[in-house]
Amino acid sequence: MSALRRAPELLVPALLVLGTALFALQVSSYLQAYFLDTLVKVAIVVALYVFIGNSGVLSFGHVSFVALGAWTAGVLTVPADQKSAIMPGLAHFLLHTNVGNLASLALAAAVGAVAAFVVGLPLMRLSGLAAGIATFAVLEITNNVLTYDQSIGPGENAFSSVPQTTGIWQAAVGALICIAVAFLYRTSRYGRMLRATREDPAAAAAVGISIYRQRLLAFAISGGLAGLAGGIYVHLLPLTAAGLHLDLTFITLAMLVVGGSGSLLGAVVGALALNGLYSFFSAATNGVDLLGWNLTVPQGTAELVLGTLMALVLIARPGGLSGGRELSLPRRRVRLEA
Amino acid sequence: MSAAPPALVLEELSVRYGAVDAVRGLSLEVDRGEIVGLIGPNGAGKSSTLHAIMGAAPVVGGDVRQDGRSLVGVRSEQVARNGIALVPEGRRIFGELTVEENLRLGLAARRTRVSGVAFDHAYELFPILHEFRRRQAGALSGGQQQQLAIARALAAEPDVLLLDEPSLGLAPKIVDVVFEALGRIRESGLAVLLVEQRAQRTVAFADRSYVLANGELRLTLAPQDAGDTDRLVAAYLS
Amino acid sequence: MTLAFLNLSWPVFANGLEFGGIYALMAVGIGLVFGVLRLVNFAYGQLIMAGGFALAYGSQWNFPNWASILFCFGVVLGLSLVMDRLVFRPLRTHSPAVMLVATFAVAFVLQNIAQLSFGTFGKSAGALAFLNSPWDLGGVEVKKIAVIAVVTAAVCLVALQLLLTRTSLGLHMRAASMDFRTAQLLGVRANRVIAGAVIISAVFAAIAAVMLSVEQLQVTSTFGLSDTIFVLAGVVLGGLNRPIPATLGGFSIGFATGILGGALPSSQSQYLPSILFAAVIVVLLVRPNGLFTRGGGAVQRV
Repeated sequence: MSALRRAPELLVPALLVLGTALFALQVSSYLQAYFLDTLVKVAIVVALYVFIGNSGVLSFGHVSFVALGAWTAGVLTVPADQKSAIMPGLAHFLLHTNVGNLASLALAAAVGAVAAFVVGLPLMRLSGLAAGIATFAVLEITNNVLTYDQSIGPGENAFSSVPQTTGIWQAAVGALICIAVAFLYRTSRYGRMLRATREDPAAAAAVGISIYRQRLLAFAISGGLAGLAGGIYVHLLPLTAAGLHLDLTFITLAMLVVGGSGSLLGAVVGALALNGLYSFFSAATNGVDLLGWNLTVPQGTAELVLGTLMALVLIARPGGLSGGRELSLPRRRVRLEA
Repeated sequence: MSAAPPALVLEELSVRYGAVDAVRGLSLEVDRGEIVGLIGPNGAGKSSTLHAIMGAAPVVGGDVRQDGRSLVGVRSEQVARNGIALVPEGRRIFGELTVEENLRLGLAARRTRVSGVAFDHAYELFPILHEFRRRQAGALSGGQQQQLAIARALAAEPDVLLLDEPSLGLAPKIVDVVFEALGRIRESGLAVLLVEQRAQRTVAFADRSYVLANGELRLTLAPQDAGDTDRLVAAYLS
Repeated sequence: MTLAFLNLSWPVFANGLEFGGIYALMAVGIGLVFGVLRLVNFAYGQLIMAGGFALAYGSQWNFPNWASILFCFGVVLGLSLVMDRLVFRPLRTHSPAVMLVATFAVAFVLQNIAQLSFGTFGKSAGALAFLNSPWDLGGVEVKKIAVIAVVTAAVCLVALQLLLTRTSLGLHMRAASMDFRTAQLLGVRANRVIAGAVIISAVFAAIAAVMLSVEQLQVTSTFGLSDTIFVLAGVVLGGLNRPIPATLGGFSIGFATGILGGALPSSQSQYLPSILFAAVIVVLLVRPNGLFTRGGGAVQRV
């Protein structure tokens, strides 16, 4: 019964993603690039949602796991004969290890999850402002290491020569996997326990819920999803460490905040809508045809639009970051089962 | 011409936090030169009443008037500047500031410009503060901190003094010092509203005491009722 | 002549002092606002950037230097007050985490406004470049800007310390950063205290902008950004809501940056940010109030 009643929580976001994918098949390959990018963003934002939405704790660090996933999938799939040319400093065992597309994605997710777990071991004791700053520090450290350590990747250079296996279906399936995992986690008893700690930490602790363990679990899962998204991303276009830093963190957080961090649907809609807007204004730097009227905007407009929207939403609805309602069929009000 | 309105009047005051009614329809008056006690069990709404007067708790009904002017909707800082001083529960002194700096903070609410700051009055009331004026307030004992909290409130030269459980956690000897000081404060013409847990002592000491339970006024007692334990117990348990 | 025991040359040491001074001012600017508002201002770097652009325009319009600097102060101050009014004030009662995200958004908006207005290459602010030339101090040649930065920072910090300890506004600001609610109950005016912190913080941002523009003549939309991220780390290391520890934190980071930037080959200093932020994490885990802070008094902040 409960699963049936909750079905819309899963189906509506999933259908939105499928619809986007089907629509993307109808458009020119130039436009398709934007849809692909949007599907990857959906995956990243859903990963963010799994942690922030359920725990109510802020994280600036998730793009680290996206970057680690991208590095993992990238370094393991660059054709062996090109590796030493692109990444001259690469460690010996990476130079001689190559895997296929799917295995690289699975490993990207695994690396993301393990990294998040390890980082979370100390960090999940923090909340509020301290959590925000500490996860920001994680982002800075990851970026710093990936930028300069040439034994694990291309350093400051772009990740070129990674097989571009991410087409519409790979991107859509990736986003759907993230949505499904997020839904399963949310409806599991662990997800319910974590949300109980968000609503009332003292009461949750009093009934024996370990806030630390539940947060750690959510952090590891969302890290895994972020890693998967990173893997898919690096198979889409040649990423750089600089491109997986503050801008992406900001953009994905903005999508989550504007969509409403408290619900899966909000995360998906936020990602679809804002990335649509973002893509539009990014494309418009080269000029777009809008109903016969040519629009050209300067570079930076897309970020400006997103930032303004995010600030407005935060001012108008500050609770949006930590609260939220999930979409479901009408039901009796039930107690927390935790 | 009628006489001037009392210094502080609560009229059918109601306070609500979310779904919880903290105070329901409370009416009372405090006039200059009198001490009015407000007693009752834990959770009766005593502190909520004081916070409502200070503009720091949500008033959902009724009125609070100082010298006939309503204070409902006025911000805390302005209530303080209007001449109502609160000695908060738990004293809330600034432990990292010196004793004298704590007293200087009390001046924030003074309506007249202070020239050549002097805390003679405070030091006369509580000589120990003069001795320790350069010390960090956090290093004082609980009783000394309570004296500092009262002195800080008086530094604002208020017309109305609100005290939230000033004897809480103090040794009996120190309680005597506090009550003795309150007596002298009354003589200086202030209107004092004293929230206390020590029911009998408060009833005997105050000019008039109100018993609050479950947010409602249960009983009004005069000093001579202090020995009447039965009525008090009945009011507490009702 | 060298500081043999540190294996440093005088110019490198002076460079450390220069950045130490600038970062200390920025750290205090961030710390003051945090103290009264519990707000970590990610957008502080964009205030400095705005100051940088003001200086660049001053150069372009051939303002005399004093007028450029005054213009820079005006722009930074105005932007600060607008930011406080439009963003911080509506969010004042919300959690520090929400405010942190909001300042993150503001930072991006401002940065992209700059990007839109001035393009990727920004503008040149060359008017103060002459301060890079050295002064001869008793046989030792030291860049003028290094001396100016150290002296200015010292004067500003002493003046701030006097303000905080000797004036009633300062006392009110200190009280508000310890226990805002009780301070208000005592009649301390919230808006006045917050305005005081925002204005002082903006003045320090403007000073930092002037001094940074000497080193970094080309002002772009990321002017001051990496400096601010370092300083944020330093402020957390020092202790967010206390001016003196925040100063020490900021100074240490600046000094280290200045020295390592000049003394070591880049292969050794490239991981400096990692070490710095790892330290930030350790500090947050071990002592949420920061490294240089003494143990709390008897009355705890709530």
